[in-house]
Amino acid sequence: MHREARIANYALAVLSVIALTMLSLPLSSPVQAFKACAAYVLNPAAYVGAKATERLANVPANIKDLIAANSENRLMRDKMKQVEWTETESQALRAENQRLRGALGLKGLPERSPVWARVIVREPEHWYRSVTVDAGGNQGLAVNSPVLGSQGGRLIVIGRVVSVRPDTSIVLLLTDEQSSVAAYATSPSTETVRSFDGLLQGQGGPRLRLDYLVPDATVEKGDLVYTSPTSATFPPDVLIGTVVQIFPPNQELEWRSMAVEPAVDASRLTEVLILKTQSAAAEAPKLSSADANDTSADTTQETSE
Amino acid sequence: MNPVRLLVIFFAAMVAQWWWMTHFSIFGLAPQLLLVLTVALAARYGALWGMSAGFLWGLFLDLMSPRLFGANALAFTWIAWGTGSVRRQIDVAGLGPQAVVVVAMTWAYFLLLGVLGLIFSKSFFWVGLPAFCLDPFYNAVVTTVLFALWTPRWEHRR
Repeated sequence: MHREARIANYALAVLSVIALTMLSLPLSSPVQAFKACAAYVLNPAAYVGAKATERLANVPANIKDLIAANSENRLMRDKMKQVEWTETESQALRAENQRLRGALGLKGLPERSPVWARVIVREPEHWYRSVTVDAGGNQGLAVNSPVLGSQGGRLIVIGRVVSVRPDTSIVLLLTDEQSSVAAYATSPSTETVRSFDGLLQGQGGPRLRLDYLVPDATVEKGDLVYTSPTSATFPPDVLIGTVVQIFPPNQELEWRSMAVEPAVDASRLTEVLILKTQSAAAEAPKLSSADANDTSADTTQETSE
Repeated sequence: MNPVRLLVIFFAAMVAQWWWMTHFSIFGLAPQLLLVLTVALAARYGALWGMSAGFLWGLFLDLMSPRLFGANALAFTWIAWGTGSVRRQIDVAGLGPQAVVVVAMTWAYFLLLGVLGLIFSKSFFWVGLPAFCLDPFYNAVVTTVLFALWTPRWEHRR
């Protein structure tokens, strides 16, 4: 056999064994260590590229903003005076809420603080599956942090963090087949709850599917779907989307199903709001770049709500 | 091949691939620039060069996806090896043969990803009909542009 062909065959065997090991044992320590090293070397290409593009694209806007900043500054100072009062009021209400929860013996809600992040990578082949954002372990994010978007002043569920690196994270979108969230439907006009909780699942396409609703649920087209208070990952009562199709009842199944259109289109995502829990935020400074290169969730096993 | 030049191409290609698929995709379609370069490297300099670069470029793509770490690396390695094997039979250094190989390898890549998904995550990973039908030809167009940019002038004259 030709010498070059023989070497190529050996190289093929070696590289195939490495790749197949990574595919077969994704959670083993050597593969995780290799993944962390690869991320350390290769990941900056996307991160640095995103930062450079952002800086170049922002130059004209920055100049314009600078000119507008002075007048905006005066307006903001006036608004700040109002905000101070709102904050005092909010603190008083929070204290009252905690006191009343304590009196009723209810467990307090987890405290979460928001982190805004930009979408830096979106793959055409995974359009409805995942995006990469420019916030990671250094910003206090952890696996399973809920990711929200904003449209028209309303918060909307986007997905959750499944892999955290020092400065970037991978977000599994709600439209991915492996995503699911407990949800309920309400009437858009009266805001009355139409159904008990169902399980909303991604389909790998633009729409979602809401299953396991009781047969007598009076859900109609156009109803709004929100996250359920029973959701383990997402905060309650956050908008997910709108019911666009109700599937005819199946005699063999004891529940109803419907198609839901997400309130925000995955292709329009540019910025997302990630909620970090206070415990994750406290751990952030401890997260060194060496051990935080890649903290991944096994996405195939921890999808259910 | 000059190693410094290869290193520059290696990192520039990753940035270009990221930039293209994030900011410049048309109707959700973007060319697989890294796949095109893997084929080009294997066609010009042999399977070994293509496999080395292709494996690392595949890892780069795997790192941007939450599932099947290693699938792209394996697919790119096999694509480079396949191109190297074809190279020993026919001359694939020219534009026409290289474009044909790119089209065939893109389909092979999609099917390989699907099969790897079936084996390792029990669901055939389907890239979608538009991507499956149009991406190979989009890649062939990119091959033409890259060929015009990357071929030395003396080779053009020849």
